[in-house]
Amino acid sequence: MKQEFTLEILSDNNFSILNRIVNVLNRRRVRIKKLIAQENEEDFMRGSATLLVYTTADLMEKVKHQIEKLIEVEEASYYEGSDRFFALVEKSNRQVA
Amino acid sequence: MGALLTKTEPTTEANTQTAKKVSGAEVLLRSLIAEKVDTLFGYPGGAIMPVYDALYHYQDKLRHILVRHEQGAIHAAQGYARVSGKAGVVFATSGPGATNLVTGLADALIDSTPLVCITGQVFAHLLGTDAFQETDVVNTTIPVTKWNVQVTEAKDIAPAVARAFYIANSGRPGPVLIDITKNAQNELIEEAEYVPCSEVRTYKPKPVLQHSQVKAAAELINNAKRPYLLVGQGVLLSGASKELLALVEKTGIPVASTLLGLGAFPADHPNYVGFLGMHGNYGPNINTNECDVLIGVGLRFDDRVTGNVSRYARQAKVIHIDIDKAEIDKIVKTEVAVHADAKEALEALIGYCKENRHEEWLQSFHRLNQVEYEKVTHKELNHPTEELKMGEVVNHLSKLTKGEAIVVTDVGQHQMTTSRYYKYRQPRTNVTSGGAGTMGFALPAALGAKIARPEKEVVAVIGDGGYQMTVQELGTIMQYEIPVKILVLNNSFLGMVRQWQQLFHEKRYSCTEMVNPDFIKIAEAYSIPARRVTDRSELTDALQEMLAAPTSYFLEVVVGREDNVFPMVPAGGCVTDCMLEPPTK
Repeated sequence: MKQEFTLEILSDNNFSILNRIVNVLNRRRVRIKKLIAQENEEDFMRGSATLLVYTTADLMEKVKHQIEKLIEVEEASYYEGSDRFFALVEKSNRQVA
Repeated sequence: MGALLTKTEPTTEANTQTAKKVSGAEVLLRSLIAEKVDTLFGYPGGAIMPVYDALYHYQDKLRHILVRHEQGAIHAAQGYARVSGKAGVVFATSGPGATNLVTGLADALIDSTPLVCITGQVFAHLLGTDAFQETDVVNTTIPVTKWNVQVTEAKDIAPAVARAFYIANSGRPGPVLIDITKNAQNELIEEAEYVPCSEVRTYKPKPVLQHSQVKAAAELINNAKRPYLLVGQGVLLSGASKELLALVEKTGIPVASTLLGLGAFPADHPNYVGFLGMHGNYGPNINTNECDVLIGVGLRFDDRVTGNVSRYARQAKVIHIDIDKAEIDKIVKTEVAVHADAKEALEALIGYCKENRHEEWLQSFHRLNQVEYEKVTHKELNHPTEELKMGEVVNHLSKLTKGEAIVVTDVGQHQMTTSRYYKYRQPRTNVTSGGAGTMGFALPAALGAKIARPEKEVVAVIGDGGYQMTVQELGTIMQYEIPVKILVLNNSFLGMVRQWQQLFHEKRYSCTEMVNPDFIKIAEAYSIPARRVTDRSELTDALQEMLAAPTSYFLEVVVGREDNVFPMVPAGGCVTDCMLEPPTK
């Protein structure tokens, strides 16, 4: 059964990192509902991406390992539902405001 | 390494007048020499000309093999890497030069072959402007490389090379690509000492062996009545053949091999039960669904091995040993996962496993293989027809070379036949395109293998279809006098597709018949001695002549046009659906 997951990724920051991550999801035909990516404010050589994806639990687990296999990805973790994703959005909005 | 987002500002010219300066191109070559590279496979072009200009002065240290097509370069580098264990190095120019590498990159990625590919790129200020021979090589090759990077400043070249070799060779090996803009190749920078890479912050290539996992695996093995070991290329890549042999001799477990695992375990060992998969041996396929513990070492449970996964070894508890965590539970659900280097895991497993024998279980494989022998092998090797059969040609080759040659195969019927009938006895002697199934692989891969292991006999066994996909590499063989032996098994068909058309598409031979050129004249045009065999009485003599030749040699053997490779697990079928002969209507 497909459901929403919040996928959090810590990585190096470079020109191709988002492509690499999205490629893995596209190849597995995992639907990306929302995506936030940002440079680390203290060290622009690092970055993070948080995605709201819609897939099965089985595929989520497999995709997590395939994303972690990317050389520049430090860690990928996922959580059921969208709560963490929208909490991050709210935090980002507050910082902008 | 800030090759893409750089922390430091470019140095100014003002304070460096006294220091010796070198070009980015020269830095690249010196970095390769520091990585102990001795051979390059490549093809020059506009965007990589500064590198080739610098290479003119380094020809005593770096032997460049000028191929006839970039695809030939990368397959040659693959052959070099597969038999030597060292990363193969490729040079290509921008645009089409780089895109011609894509097939080889995909092949090397799926077959875990370490490569470092260097592509020239247009000047940095022209990136994204549709400049002549500009292709977005980094984005094009992301899905087919283990890692890639674009370098636009000379100072980033050496760190990129260091990182590339570290990534290509460590963990599960794979191809990497460095795309270097022409301005970076031309740019002069201060000479600096080369610093090899030993760590990448975000990359953990070698997992720490968890003894709890090994103990759990050993407990399953010790309590098993019908344990069964499947070995893949991971055993070869980690150099674990000795450990595998020791484990098998202690535990008495039957061993079968994947296509790329051939050579990891001696084919003449009593516990070796055969080759797995779609055209594998009968015993190993059928007994997959009879074992109680299935131990997969360094393999990825490819669909050509498993057939229909929903009916694959459902009765068995599965132990999967692999260095790549993404492979564990990807296809087959494991009872015990050992995320580790195969050599370390097998070493530890030997200690935890009890001595045992499984004679009756082992004999059940041999009994099934005897059924295969009577229905398939005997007919293949003892010619009831007048036409020569692929199996008998390969069987003769295997006997004449004592199973000790490096045999490079292409893709199709001849590949499956060679995997079935050539008795590989040593690690790193089987070179083939496995996961990608790249026709045209064998001829360039064989020349690369011969360059890496000149003391070994190297025989390329190729079908008439695949041979013509990269036949231009005969020019490379001629120019560098590479004494590789070429054996084309000619059935004037794209044989494997035709076999499927016969068996599953009611014999509609749609676009598979080949009208071939005179292969002998082609070989002779490249000054390669050549012979054509159509008669069984000439076969042994011709093979002996080929093997005795001190130069390269081309042998064409005309085989039965509509011969098939059996056994066969039909596409979508399960391992126990393995057919020994065509289905009767």
